[in-house]
Amino acid sequence: MEAAEHKAPNYIAIWGMLAILTVVEVAIVYFRLPRRLTVVSLVFLALWKALLVALYFMHLRFEPKRLLYIVLAPLPLALILVVAVMHGFRGP
Amino acid sequence: MTAHAEAVAHAAHDDRSFIRKYVFSTDHKTIGIQFLFLSLFFLLVGGLLAMGIRWQLGFPGQAMPLGGWLPQSVAPGGVVAPKTYNSLVTMHGTFMIFFAVMPLLVGVFANYLIPLKIGAPDMAFPRLNMWSFWLMIPSGGLMLASLFVLGGSSAAGWTVYAPLSATPDYSGVHLGQQLWCLSIVIFGLSSLLGSVNYITTVVNLRAPGMTWFRLPLSVWALFITAVLAILAVPILAGAVIMLLFDQTIGTHFFQPDVGGQPLMWQHLFWFFGHPEVYILILPAMGIASDIIANGARKPIFGYSSMVYAMIAIAFLGFVVWGHHMFQSGMNPTLASTFMVSTIVIAVPSAIKVFNWLGTLWRGNIHFTTPMLNALAFVSMFIIGGLSGIFMASTPVDMYIHGTYFIVAHIHYVLFGGSLFAVFAGIYFWYPKMFGRQMSERWGKVHFALTFVFYNLTFFPMHILGIGGEMRRIYDPTVYDFLRPLQPINVFITINAFLLGLSQLVFAANFIGSLFKGEKAERNPWRDTGLEWTTASPPPHGNFAETPHVYHGPYEYSVPGMDDDFLPVTTPPTGRAA
Amino acid sequence: MTAHAAAPSVGHAAPAQGGVGVYTQKVGMWVFLVSEVMFFTALIGSYIILRWGTGAQWPDPRTVLAIPITALNTFILICSSVSMVKAYAAATRDDQAGLKKWLLLTVLGGATFVSVQAYEYHHLIEKGFLPSSGVFGSAFYTMTGFHGFHVTCGVISMIWVTVRAFRGRYAGGNYRGVETIGLYWHFVDLVWIILFTIVYLI
Repeated sequence: MEAAEHKAPNYIAIWGMLAILTVVEVAIVYFRLPRRLTVVSLVFLALWKALLVALYFMHLRFEPKRLLYIVLAPLPLALILVVAVMHGFRGP
Repeated sequence: MTAHAEAVAHAAHDDRSFIRKYVFSTDHKTIGIQFLFLSLFFLLVGGLLAMGIRWQLGFPGQAMPLGGWLPQSVAPGGVVAPKTYNSLVTMHGTFMIFFAVMPLLVGVFANYLIPLKIGAPDMAFPRLNMWSFWLMIPSGGLMLASLFVLGGSSAAGWTVYAPLSATPDYSGVHLGQQLWCLSIVIFGLSSLLGSVNYITTVVNLRAPGMTWFRLPLSVWALFITAVLAILAVPILAGAVIMLLFDQTIGTHFFQPDVGGQPLMWQHLFWFFGHPEVYILILPAMGIASDIIANGARKPIFGYSSMVYAMIAIAFLGFVVWGHHMFQSGMNPTLASTFMVSTIVIAVPSAIKVFNWLGTLWRGNIHFTTPMLNALAFVSMFIIGGLSGIFMASTPVDMYIHGTYFIVAHIHYVLFGGSLFAVFAGIYFWYPKMFGRQMSERWGKVHFALTFVFYNLTFFPMHILGIGGEMRRIYDPTVYDFLRPLQPINVFITINAFLLGLSQLVFAANFIGSLFKGEKAERNPWRDTGLEWTTASPPPHGNFAETPHVYHGPYEYSVPGMDDDFLPVTTPPTGRAA
Repeated sequence: MTAHAAAPSVGHAAPAQGGVGVYTQKVGMWVFLVSEVMFFTALIGSYIILRWGTGAQWPDPRTVLAIPITALNTFILICSSVSMVKAYAAATRDDQAGLKKWLLLTVLGGATFVSVQAYEYHHLIEKGFLPSSGVFGSAFYTMTGFHGFHVTCGVISMIWVTVRAFRGRYAGGNYRGVETIGLYWHFVDLVWIILFTIVYLI
């Protein structure tokens, strides 16, 4: 029932990934790529880092599915709020 | 010592000090009762503020009785000043919603009932629970204090729209609005701590055999409400903090001068505000379900559809918020999506209503005080829900938004709905809480008076609204087109006062029964719930030994049984455990 | 921890009806974190709405904010997340020495982050960039301020947990309290990962 019997992930490897992704993010800013590309890649990289933290450091990868549902619940709502209000301001 | 023996010993020797037992208690039952006294007090405060509103609307410009006691800046010559009137409507809404109805439905019934009804000894986090109650004290205190500060209390409506609320110069209210914001942030924290407890407790602490689909609907409703709170209240907290910063440290979130967006306040507020109204009604629905099944001696018709309907209402409740903003000048395409979702949300609510009716159909109905109040809940909620359908339609709402039609709707669902359910719940669980019975006779008198005066007060507001009377206005008689409606305002005011006076019957019954009420037995309502298998009031720790649940929650009038109810703990052989 | 003292003092000799399959403190912490997600949604969402939804005046953040030092600070916070998870791993193995070491490093990392943020605030204010400096200033200080407040609360809680660790409260494989505070700590790091990207880089 508890701390599922699984092999502990390689935390140092995850740390390395996070460090590299951060460097890449900052590099993208300094290389002054086209705006759209910059934004898309930065968002993508940030989400990747966030997922690594959530799945491995916070152990979501190894938790029962039901807990995942609890955790995922706010995400669609957050998206709806921001998208709907943005749309409200910017127009059709 | 075995766990059982230890448990029994613990229940028998409750050697907590007076302070630990009655003041800083971690026992969910004590906390529930503390919430009860706190919220009834604020119900009184909200009610008195309403009397002030009604006086001014019924008799504009005339000195209020006892008005001479108020400071001249607030009521010159005993006459409510316009700015004071704005404060009255704001604070009436604020106190009623945040400090009366929410704590009554959630603070009282979630705390008191959940552990008992799921067979747990207490909440998952009893100390956090204690904090949840005690945070209401500074929160309520700050809100009350705001009534007395220089510049007066918040006067921007309970929805405190920016920029009126964000810019002190516009409203003349400085500290009052800031205190409002601070109070609400603390309230939010209290609400969140409570919700974490309710959710975790229902998820993890159910007794053996208490599967999800054996939970009483009151527990389902309170659980879903807690989920709504977890997701919606933080948005309010964020928005109110931004508002507070606009007022104090010069930020520009909602002030248009350098690019702030007043409309964003409305979006954020109502993104919270709509789930909030479901927080205000779902527990009432759950309580009513339990009481109606009990009073009709029949299982709830369509139990699982009741559950799914509540889940649907909760989910849909997050995507309808724009219907509060149809007149704001919002994007029309966005508005139409909200119109669709709002009309859709009527469906699960209707399913619930039909299920209550189905439960009553051919039931063996006992018209006890709780049952009468629960029946009033259903019928008044139907009326409130029907007026809601008008509002869902954007073109219609263009006309009725901001009028007394909305005020009628609000009060039909909040008073007609939530408050009658609260009364039902109090009358029903009072014996369990206090070990005494309330007077049935005076309960029925209270019900009859309340029901009559309530309808006479609020139904005519539909007419006022269609006639064009706006909300929150100080003096309807300055408008030519409203002067013919003034007799209705007078009629409403008189009935409102009588409604207020009728509550004295409840107060007397409640307080008197604490001391003089007949001692209650373990299960005076012959109910199937787990809380009725233990003493009235239950001991610290609730159950001498862990209950085991064998049945669904509403086994009433089971064919072939001697008795017309089957407690959930009765083993399948049918013999007593 | 508190839940042990208060929960099942009565009954529950029989196992409770299956919950979500996760111990109670962890469920509680996750539910709380869900509410925190919504809280930061209000703040970060408002930033997004104000910046890209409304056509407001918006300076290029890179001209106002110091990216290099904040990038380093981001790295420091990530490191403290690593030390936190190492502390948790040590606790599960009953490696008390390791637990204490990694907890201390986490406290150090968190405290450093907050100090650097404070220094940055000081620097920005001196430059004349205030909460009242347009909508960008309003949003920047509110978001990073509340994040910093959450980190500070985290550091204080972490100190308390470290003290308890030194008192042997997490010995014998009793790792739950460490895991629970760890979840909060990782969450605060996660929010920063998103904040840093949206506010500083984009």
